Amino acid sequence: MLRFLELSNDTLFVYYLLSNLIYFGLLITAIFKNVIHRRRLASLRLELFKASPFTPPITLIVPAHNEERSIVDSVKALLSLDYPSLEVIVVNDGSRDSTLEKLQQAYHLQTVRLLYIADIATAPLRGIYHSLVEPRLLILDKESAGCKADAINAGLNAATSPYVCVVDADSILERESLLRIMQGVFSDPSQVVAVGGIVRVLNGSRVVQGELQEVRLPKSAMEVMQVIEYLRAFLVGREAWAGFNMLPIISGAFGVFQRDLVKQVGGFRTHAVGEDLDLVIRLHRHLQDQKRPYHINFIADPTCWTEVPTDLTSLARQRARWHKGLIDALWPNRDMLFRARYGRVGWAVLPYMWIFEFFAPVIEVVGYFTIGAAFVLGVLSRSFFLQFLLFGYAFATLISIGSVLLEEMTYRRYNRWRDVARLLIYCLFEHFPYRQLTMVWRLQGIWQYLRGDLQWRELKRVGISPSSAD
Amino acid sequence: MEFVFSPIEKLGPAGLVVKAILGSLLGIFLLIGFIILRRWYRARYFRRRNERTLAVRTQWDDIVSGKIPLLDWRLDPLDCEIVESILLDSVETAAPEQLPGLLDCLRTSGLVDLRICEARMERGWKQRTALLALGRTRAAEAIPALAEALEASSRETRIAAVRGLGRTARTEGAIPILDAMMTGRLGVPDHTLKNALVNCCRGYPGILLNYLEQSRGPVRELLARVLGELASADLGEELLVLSADPLPEVRASAARALGSTNTSYTLPALHTLTNDPEWFVRLRAVVALGQIENLGKIRILLRSLCDTNRYVRQRAAWALAQMEPHLEQILEDVVATNDNYALQTFISELERSGAIEKVASALEVGSNPQSAEAALLDVVEAARRRVGMTGKAAAAAAGTR
Repeated sequence: MLRFLELSNDTLFVYYLLSNLIYFGLLITAIFKNVIHRRRLASLRLELFKASPFTPPITLIVPAHNEERSIVDSVKALLSLDYPSLEVIVVNDGSRDSTLEKLQQAYHLQTVRLLYIADIATAPLRGIYHSLVEPRLLILDKESAGCKADAINAGLNAATSPYVCVVDADSILERESLLRIMQGVFSDPSQVVAVGGIVRVLNGSRVVQGELQEVRLPKSAMEVMQVIEYLRAFLVGREAWAGFNMLPIISGAFGVFQRDLVKQVGGFRTHAVGEDLDLVIRLHRHLQDQKRPYHINFIADPTCWTEVPTDLTSLARQRARWHKGLIDALWPNRDMLFRARYGRVGWAVLPYMWIFEFFAPVIEVVGYFTIGAAFVLGVLSRSFFLQFLLFGYAFATLISIGSVLLEEMTYRRYNRWRDVARLLIYCLFEHFPYRQLTMVWRLQGIWQYLRGDLQWRELKRVGISPSSAD
Repeated sequence: MEFVFSPIEKLGPAGLVVKAILGSLLGIFLLIGFIILRRWYRARYFRRRNERTLAVRTQWDDIVSGKIPLLDWRLDPLDCEIVESILLDSVETAAPEQLPGLLDCLRTSGLVDLRICEARMERGWKQRTALLALGRTRAAEAIPALAEALEASSRETRIAAVRGLGRTARTEGAIPILDAMMTGRLGVPDHTLKNALVNCCRGYPGILLNYLEQSRGPVRELLARVLGELASADLGEELLVLSADPLPEVRASAARALGSTNTSYTLPALHTLTNDPEWFVRLRAVVALGQIENLGKIRILLRSLCDTNRYVRQRAAWALAQMEPHLEQILEDVVATNDNYALQTFISELERSGAIEKVASALEVGSNPQSAEAALLDVVEAARRRVGMTGKAAAAAAGTR
């Protein structure tokens, strides 16, 4: 028993050290990549791409389910994006509220009998509408299949552009974000099959009629913690993984894909809990199976602002869902692990996701128990435990502050001294009790998945409209 | 430092952890310090830059005309940077009569020479920045230095050189790009190349023809695409030759180019291209037909409305729906084709363009409303039933058409 406890505690130490060291490596890679990208941006003239006849058209797919509060402002903001050839397809996914009526009023919709070919099977369409005042807008009204993936697939069927961009109806894209994200495609259109942009926390910022007026840090501690998490995940994690062409996920809130390729892999998997993660892993699989050279890119400056949960219940639901989505995407693709044909995806990123993402809460909770047992049995070296705790805290804080530094060195969206000071202070307090709560929610996610509970639970949202989220 | 390290050494293996803790804490303080210092420095720099920009702007005309001696600003790095950036921005937006004055200022101040020197002597980001700035000057003497950079070993530098040459917007800027493309060693993304060539060849697209004749494969496709964007009636019968090219991309580009001409051969050439075996060539031909002013195109578009490809049908319907005074006649002709897919596409397009009500009311007051409307309703209903089938069966049926 004592030997087991010792072994368990040593394993925990090694696991924690390894996890932090990998993230530290990712941080260094991300700093390097971001600095290069910033230099490239300095010489980039977006207006030239806007005026270029070779800039490919793009279709924005906006799945909307009960979005009456924000849909009109969201669509208005999307239509005002800077991009030369844009089509916006809003998929009203069986909304029970007045989402369609609001669109009807604002955009004078008229039924059209377009030939809709369901290359990817979806729930039946109830109608197709186009706007009499905005020719770039198409509305698909469909019955709900109970999942966002089905709505996106309907949009994919109707899209006419070679590239599609999936955007959440409750998110806000910056005006130049499409031109910026497409730079990731222009770098090598023959190989780049998908590009992800950064998702940032909207809470606290000032929004007027669907347009972001001023970026500010949210007021509540829980939301600021999420800001730090998003910075770490996007500016560090995704940037670095994409640098090695191993990006495992493109956020469902903002990503560009080659339309035909997504259709080739059967579109977004209906009823997948994390349809975005699932799609990107399937794209890796498909392209590696075909031995086709490809790149799945991430660009950190095109920004999508999204609302994050403001109450504990919603946050718990979201985190449990994310963890369910993780296992739901990893399990069907477990045969990719350590297979030569899947290269670095099978040998590096997928094992990392299994060990340091999926199993993290399990290992953490086992660690708490064994440390507690060792303490009770008197076999825990108190000084070593204290040192381990301090080291873990300091190293993790270093990485969090590193991601704030990255933000400071590159995109500087938080301009006020006060906001930066608060970010730095919260980096020091992020590890207790927020981290432990996250662990519990992720364990809930695993439990729900094992029970077969894949139900989508509503999150409480403040809403970005009508005038402000401040 | 002995007093710090000796107690740690005494701790044995635990000393390593203590060192790691201290290292991490030091890292945290350094990062926080760096963030604070960087913010302070940047705030100070931008304040100063703002003050100097205001000072330069208030004397701008005197600086450009040379009334203010060059030495007053040229040797101050910040002032020099500000003047150069304002000058380059002005060059891009200047009217033709203002351009010589701005170029004179860039030349007499030695800024062009400085950038040429940097483009040749420097490496890395400094060289790339110089290449882009050189291109923005639009000076003819910048082209040799930019052309030399096309031979650079770094892909980033070659991209910067291509962009720089594109920014010159001079026909002679295209020649080094085209020569390098012919060697096949350029290795620059197509999008960058196409944009640069479009900028350079806008004044004289004929320059592309010689290279097009000599090129093969992807280079030929790329050149054809650029030519398709720039071609005008001046290219004359060269377009007819291209429209019979074995490469479908080239034929598609020829079709696109024909859309901007309106000569005696335009309609027959586009007619031929609407029968091309490649759907995207037919699509380009139909789009081009939509752009030309010639009633003869109606007959061709009606045939394309019955095309096997749905994109071609959609574009043909779009082009036909633009022909406002003839819509009733066109609708009757579409009904007469007995092609339900064609009718479906055309009606959809009329709905989309908002012309459906006008056409319907015109049919009601027409000479033979019953027959036209009844036939229309019959065929529309049949088409609706046929394409209204849900699921893949309908999709497959429609898709194979």
